[in-house]
Amino acid sequence: MRTRDLSYWVFLMPVLAALTLVVIAPLFLGIYYSFTDWNGIQTKGFVGFDNYIALFKDERFLNSLWFTTKFSVVSVILINLIGLSLALLVTAKLKTNKVLRTIFFMPNLIGGLILGFIWQFIFTKAFAGFGSIVGIESLQGWLSTTSTGFWGLVILMSWQMSGYIMVIYIAYLEGVSKELLEAAEIDGANAFQRFRSVIFPLVAPAFTVSMFLTLSNTFKLYDQNLSLTGGGPYNSTQMVAMEIFNTAFGRYDMAYAQAKAVIFFLIVAVVALVQVYINKKREVEM
Amino acid sequence: MKRKWRAGLLAASLSFAAILTGCSSKEEQVTLDVFQFKVEFKDQFEKVAKAYEKENENVKINITTVGGGEDYGAALRSKFASGNEPAIYNIGGPQDVADWLDKLADLSDSAAAKAALDGSLNGVSVDGKVLGLPYNQEGYGLIYNKNVFEKAEVDPASIKDFASLEAAVKKLDSKKSELGLQAVFALPGKETWVTGLHLSNAFLAPEFDNNVLTAFDSKTVDFKYGDAFKKVLDLQNDYSVQPTVSLDYSKQVEELFSLQKVAIIQQGNWVYGSIAGIDEDFANNGIGILPIPVEGYKGDTIPVGIPMYWGVNSKADKAVIEESKKFLDWLYTSDEGKETVLNDFKFIPAYEGYDSSKISDPLSKDVYEYAEKGKTIGWTFMGYPTGWGQDELGVQIQKYLSKKATWEEVVDATKKAWETDRK
Repeated sequence: MRTRDLSYWVFLMPVLAALTLVVIAPLFLGIYYSFTDWNGIQTKGFVGFDNYIALFKDERFLNSLWFTTKFSVVSVILINLIGLSLALLVTAKLKTNKVLRTIFFMPNLIGGLILGFIWQFIFTKAFAGFGSIVGIESLQGWLSTTSTGFWGLVILMSWQMSGYIMVIYIAYLEGVSKELLEAAEIDGANAFQRFRSVIFPLVAPAFTVSMFLTLSNTFKLYDQNLSLTGGGPYNSTQMVAMEIFNTAFGRYDMAYAQAKAVIFFLIVAVVALVQVYINKKREVEM
Repeated sequence: MKRKWRAGLLAASLSFAAILTGCSSKEEQVTLDVFQFKVEFKDQFEKVAKAYEKENENVKINITTVGGGEDYGAALRSKFASGNEPAIYNIGGPQDVADWLDKLADLSDSAAAKAALDGSLNGVSVDGKVLGLPYNQEGYGLIYNKNVFEKAEVDPASIKDFASLEAAVKKLDSKKSELGLQAVFALPGKETWVTGLHLSNAFLAPEFDNNVLTAFDSKTVDFKYGDAFKKVLDLQNDYSVQPTVSLDYSKQVEELFSLQKVAIIQQGNWVYGSIAGIDEDFANNGIGILPIPVEGYKGDTIPVGIPMYWGVNSKADKAVIEESKKFLDWLYTSDEGKETVLNDFKFIPAYEGYDSSKISDPLSKDVYEYAEKGKTIGWTFMGYPTGWGQDELGVQIQKYLSKKATWEEVVDATKKAWETDRK
């Protein structure tokens, strides 16, 4: 690469400028604000690490962090399982392949807020209606308890993201060479063995990518959370992004919310980097 | 290589051009940027502004509305933070006044401030300066369905205290199926403002002498009428469509009440528009307001107060401040303005000199009548600590409704939160 070439920098500059303006500068500004008592209108002074100390005793924040973690673990596993299964299904020799791909991918095209409202309707109306016909009491009042709210969010998220993750798996699955699979078949490997020992290692890079995407997306989830449960009942399904937003704009503790955001950023970054590092080690080169 | 160069330059210059065009253009005339929260009267307000522009050619009015389900306070902060400060904006009460003190012009010498009703400027006066002008008056209580009451032979006029309310509710409940009701009440536990701000206010205001400033200065909250509070909440919850914690405003007002599936909801005169949008006849002839009984204090009162105030940005140009004041004066004290306030905005005026017999919708009329007879409780929830009403009390009430907390726990937790905030 000729990195010293002037044209290289000319090309890069617009992107660098934009990146500095909307990502890097706000990040540093945010870190600065997290050490003050900024209330959104004025800054009275520095408070040092007070915000950070308070945050580790803040039950609300810790609860939402724990809820987000649980949600992310379950969602990452489910989304990848469903995504991979769908990918395997539509790469098999089926006549309806293309239609199915489109159908599975579709939910991803709908915005998160709208999806939340659609599913809210399904959970509160369709489930209740179905429940009263079949006579299952537990289908009434979905989203009104913590556990149904949790599973509601998981279902919504899996439904939305699986199709997207499926596309990534498809790309890698189609890259697996036919010769290898044939050779394995001739050697007497059955379908399961072929999947485990040939396909699985070869699509390992897809796991790295998809898991990174699902992990960061589920951790940062906000709009689906807002429109589906709104954090209720009693803030028990409130995820971190929403908790931070409410601290900032519900109580106008801007600086404190900023401190939470910094910690949240660090957590997401560390978790994502660790995950990518571990996954990378498992990849095999062809 | 040459082409690559050109493309690069183009990309660079385009991005700079995009940044630069953001900050040019200047106008000769005075522009009033209004940033307001009331979605319900957005169209009417814009129409009035147009009419005003026609009369005063040097003035241009830009109205931005953020409200309804949106968070106005948050939007206002971002608006100021972006450097694009509005000339006229809304403030809610003492906390807002304290927060925005540097950016509020003194409006004491305006005609509107002089015409404002007694007590309506309590929350926005600092050191004898008036920093805000009231929008209007609003009131809330238990809105009931007259047809259902008639069919069930319950006389709304007989409901004067908690016991009579409870008796009426029980009677309605026993005739639920023949009245075609799903339940008597629809309690929207999901809306923390309905429980945490409005309902609580009826029981906390007496403790603070109905004065928002007393609440704002108070270091503690006692829940002096806590038992009465619990009784009304329980009554609403026990006879409500379930589950209440996931019941929201639109389900309460539009789906259940407007379609006459429930007999009573706790809401204010602002729901008239929503109901009229669904069933105009029902909205005009079928609804009225019942009091929220506070046992041990007053039985037949409804809380009436000023929801929001107009503030003028003191950091704006002198000319802009002057024109802003003129516009607000015109809106509330000129004959033409008064007419619009009553007929188009459908406001309950918070100013003297209005012909109150012209108030058009039945809920506003009821509220005005209560106010006239002095059967009101003040709005003090604007004096709660920031976020306390919705984020603490409202959330605790959700916990209580889900049976995850007892009433004592709710009271204790919210008392503590109040004290921590006011330390």
